[in-house]
Amino acid sequence: MSTQSTPILSALTEDLLIRVNEKLVQDSDRKIWRLICKEFHRVDSITRKTLRVLHVEFLLTLLKNYTNLHTLDLSVCPCIEDGTITLLLHRVDHSMWARNLKFLNLSRANGLKFSGLEMLVGACKGLESVDVSYCCGFGDREAAAISGCGGLKELRMDKCLGVSDVGLAKIVVGCGRLERLSLKWCMEISYLGVELLCKKCLELKFLDVSYLKVTSDWLRSIAALSKLEDLAMVGCPLVNDVGLQFLENGCPLLQKIDVSRCDCVSSSGLIALIRGHNGLLQIDAGYAISEFSGNFVECMQELKNLNAIIIDGARVSDTIFQTISSNCKSLIEIGLSKCTGVTNMGIMQLVSGCVNLKTINLACCRSITDAAISAIADSCRNLLRLKLESCNMVTEKSLGHLGLHCALLEELDLTDCFGVNDRGLERLSRCSRLLCLKLGLCTNISDTGLFYIASKCSQLHELDLYRCMGIGDDGLAALSSGCKKLRKLNLSYCFEVTDKGMKSLGYLDELSDLELRALDKITGAGLAALVTRCKRLAYLDLKRCERVDDTGFWALAYYSRNLRQVSNHNVELGL
Amino acid sequence: MEPNDRLSLDAWANPSSSCNGLPRKMSLENPSFTNFNLQQQEQKWDDTSILNYGIRIEPPFLEFNQASESEYLLSSTCNNQPKVLDQEDGLNNEALQTSKSLDWDPRTMLNNLSFLEQKIHHLQDLVHLIVGRKGQALGGHDQLVTQQQQLITADLTSIIVQLISTAGSLLPSVKHKLSTGPPNGQLGELLFPPLAGMNCVPQPQHGSGSVAVQPQCVTGSKVSDQCNQMDVTGSFGTEQNLSIEEHEMKEEEDADEGENLPPGSYDILQLEKEEILAPHTHFCTICGKGFKRDANLRMHMRGHGDEYKTPAALAKPNKESSSEPVIIKRYSCPFAGCKRNKDHKKFQPLKTILCVKNHYKRTHCDKSYICSRCNTKKFSVMADLKTHEKHCGKDKWLCSCGTTFSRKDKLFGHIALFQGHTPAIPLEETKGPSVSCDKMDGNEASNKSGNINFSFGSNAGSGAQNIIEVKEDGDDPASYFSPLSFDTCNFGGFHEFPRPTFDDSESSFSFLEAP
Repeated sequence: MSTQSTPILSALTEDLLIRVNEKLVQDSDRKIWRLICKEFHRVDSITRKTLRVLHVEFLLTLLKNYTNLHTLDLSVCPCIEDGTITLLLHRVDHSMWARNLKFLNLSRANGLKFSGLEMLVGACKGLESVDVSYCCGFGDREAAAISGCGGLKELRMDKCLGVSDVGLAKIVVGCGRLERLSLKWCMEISYLGVELLCKKCLELKFLDVSYLKVTSDWLRSIAALSKLEDLAMVGCPLVNDVGLQFLENGCPLLQKIDVSRCDCVSSSGLIALIRGHNGLLQIDAGYAISEFSGNFVECMQELKNLNAIIIDGARVSDTIFQTISSNCKSLIEIGLSKCTGVTNMGIMQLVSGCVNLKTINLACCRSITDAAISAIADSCRNLLRLKLESCNMVTEKSLGHLGLHCALLEELDLTDCFGVNDRGLERLSRCSRLLCLKLGLCTNISDTGLFYIASKCSQLHELDLYRCMGIGDDGLAALSSGCKKLRKLNLSYCFEVTDKGMKSLGYLDELSDLELRALDKITGAGLAALVTRCKRLAYLDLKRCERVDDTGFWALAYYSRNLRQVSNHNVELGL
Repeated sequence: MEPNDRLSLDAWANPSSSCNGLPRKMSLENPSFTNFNLQQQEQKWDDTSILNYGIRIEPPFLEFNQASESEYLLSSTCNNQPKVLDQEDGLNNEALQTSKSLDWDPRTMLNNLSFLEQKIHHLQDLVHLIVGRKGQALGGHDQLVTQQQQLITADLTSIIVQLISTAGSLLPSVKHKLSTGPPNGQLGELLFPPLAGMNCVPQPQHGSGSVAVQPQCVTGSKVSDQCNQMDVTGSFGTEQNLSIEEHEMKEEEDADEGENLPPGSYDILQLEKEEILAPHTHFCTICGKGFKRDANLRMHMRGHGDEYKTPAALAKPNKESSSEPVIIKRYSCPFAGCKRNKDHKKFQPLKTILCVKNHYKRTHCDKSYICSRCNTKKFSVMADLKTHEKHCGKDKWLCSCGTTFSRKDKLFGHIALFQGHTPAIPLEETKGPSVSCDKMDGNEASNKSGNINFSFGSNAGSGAQNIIEVKEDGDDPASYFSPLSFDTCNFGGFHEFPRPTFDDSESSFSFLEAP
């Protein structure tokens, strides 16, 4: 090995190798690199900054090898416990790995308790970001352990159900330099905790208090945060216009506000907020405001820098599109899902001014036709994401325009658009950068259409073919040869799919999410053929796959080491 | 004759109403109404016509003796009715004062009842007499008969009055539980309108209090009886009352911070230290006995001679001056340099003597009252201690600095105020895992858990330290994670903790032990 690799290694010094290695972005490419030779592997291990561990049993060896890690993501190996941490810290080279660690993701690490966290925090002195979201068992003691990170700048505690004001106070006092904090679903947090937070953590730039009992008092306290840029309070039923008025004169640097699903917010509250912050970049008021007053539309004229506005579920008129079009020239994203009153005319007006739009959500805007889509395609050449779910008037013409003009399109949602057919898919396939395509309930497409997509859209990560009855094994064969990067595939209720199709899916190396609900033609043999090759499979839905028998599940249990969730009720297990 | 009849009827009818009125007054005994009660009394005292009840009642009796004009007599007897009421009211007032501090005392009640019985017999005799006279009067000399009847009526009146007052003094103990009276308003109307009406009646201003008529004397002695009672029973109630008052005053002292009287608009009084700290503030000028209340002193004074028994002497002094502009009095603390001292640059006067006392004790005296529960909190004012004792032990919000709070918001306010202070988390919640940290050394573990019930930020750190030491002791991780070592290690007294936690950790490491 060493004799063979000497020539190339003599030509390439270590720092050159490191530079080359840094150019590798894809995981798969890095994997190949590691497998070339020991030297390459060594280079990879010193340069590697990020590690996402899938299996706790490899953690020990991995951390021995990778000593320069900045980011450690343990969110997909939730079996971590206090004892694991003890072992990692005292058996692995005097915890070299912990020294440079800045970002630690412990999401869903429910086995970890405060003593383990304390050790971890004590060893990782340089921690800047910790994610303990969905650690539902976390309480105040765990929060107290985290508060040992004096330099912490970012903390996500989504759904840490046990953390109360006391825990928050610990963190607030211990981590005074906190810049980003998410308290989403921390249901025990009350006004007292947040008031203290707003007094002590003056560096706070991002705060998420979604789903909490946010009242006007909270907002009065929050208004005192002079550096706050981003405030999210989704689904806070107690937030009202009075509260938003406190924000009018506070938070001078506020750029993003999310009040979606705050039922008590009306346009007058938003007007007050906008009056105080002309520099707002992002407003999310989905399902919060039912109707926009004339004053609000006037107010919108001030928002010259607005990047994104989401007003899902509102009743809109063409005038608001006119205002946005003529004033918010830098608009990148607009969300109009389930808005009533969205017309072709309105959309045409909108895109005539906002040519930089990259994300447009028109889900359930049922009066939209090809004319509007054509206008979008013509004007917004940089379009990345377009959602047209349930836009029944959309036909192949729209897809033709998108294919012609929107070469950058990455995500397209055509769920429930029965105007989409094979011909449309053929035209759409010109969008070769497509990453995500949703064709659920498009009953008019067949293997032919899928063949076009598979042959052109090689980057596709996600494909939804839910209840596309016309899809069969041939389409899957095309898919498995064309879309090698496919990770997520939904084939539920595609009744024509058989074991043959399963076998071809086996060639999709990266496949991790697969839904096969109610595919009654596939058997245990088909499943076995799939799982022997798809090593990355993590989520598998086998509900109502009546003919999958024990052999399939044996294979599943044996081969799919990465499997995290199997949905298989209604399957008769012979175990 | 009819007026007389009516009189006796009315005299019976009215007392019943005024007796009903008593519960209302008794309800004022409730501490929260103390101020209101005082106010009411003051109001009554202010009214000169009421104030002179003893005096005004005299003229008719004088008239009886002189027996000058029958017509005038008649009118005066007619006037008698409101006066009786009036007198009753006065008596009731005193009965009220007594009963305010009067607790349930069966012996007193028994005395009162036998007294009542005696009086009722007396009354019966009198009525019999009247009945007999009526028969005579049909054929007898008008003038003489009327005169005699007047005498009898006067006797009757005085007896009824006594009856009512005694009955009234019985009431508080009985009515105590029913005192929260729905009939308050009604009774108030019943009591006060007649008084108001009576004020309109032109009163002949004849004699002064110098002539004391027999019935009057009887009532007087009665009152003094009650006063004695009060002195005895006073010791039950006073302390409680005092604490209540002091409590109120405490708030008052706090409240007067915002008061901005221009300097010079009030008189400044400065009591000396000895005066402030003296347990009693009212002293008898004759015998030197001290009292906590001036009212008690006045009652006491009556023992020193008849001149102190006059209603004027018994009445609350210097209320007549209320019509004149009152000079506001404010108090200064004798402690030099104190903000409450009149020589201080930013002098803030104290409102009342009680404020002075409490302020002086709190700020310039040793805290000699120690809470018997926590043995740490000290107070210089008894009422403060009592207030504290109510909440002592209930402080469940603890700061890392050791300060406890009864309320979460107070703790958070404290934390917001001080750098580095954090709330402490009780250990009990998560004892299981904490023990698993110290599992190698039973002694250590038991020491630790026996040490403090709360772990502070620093303590928590030492917990982690422990574990590290422990790990270094166990050189061979395999043996450390083997089930054997779990079983052999000394758990101290912690066998009750669930095993599963250990089992779990053990199983999760099994893969690591593989070579």
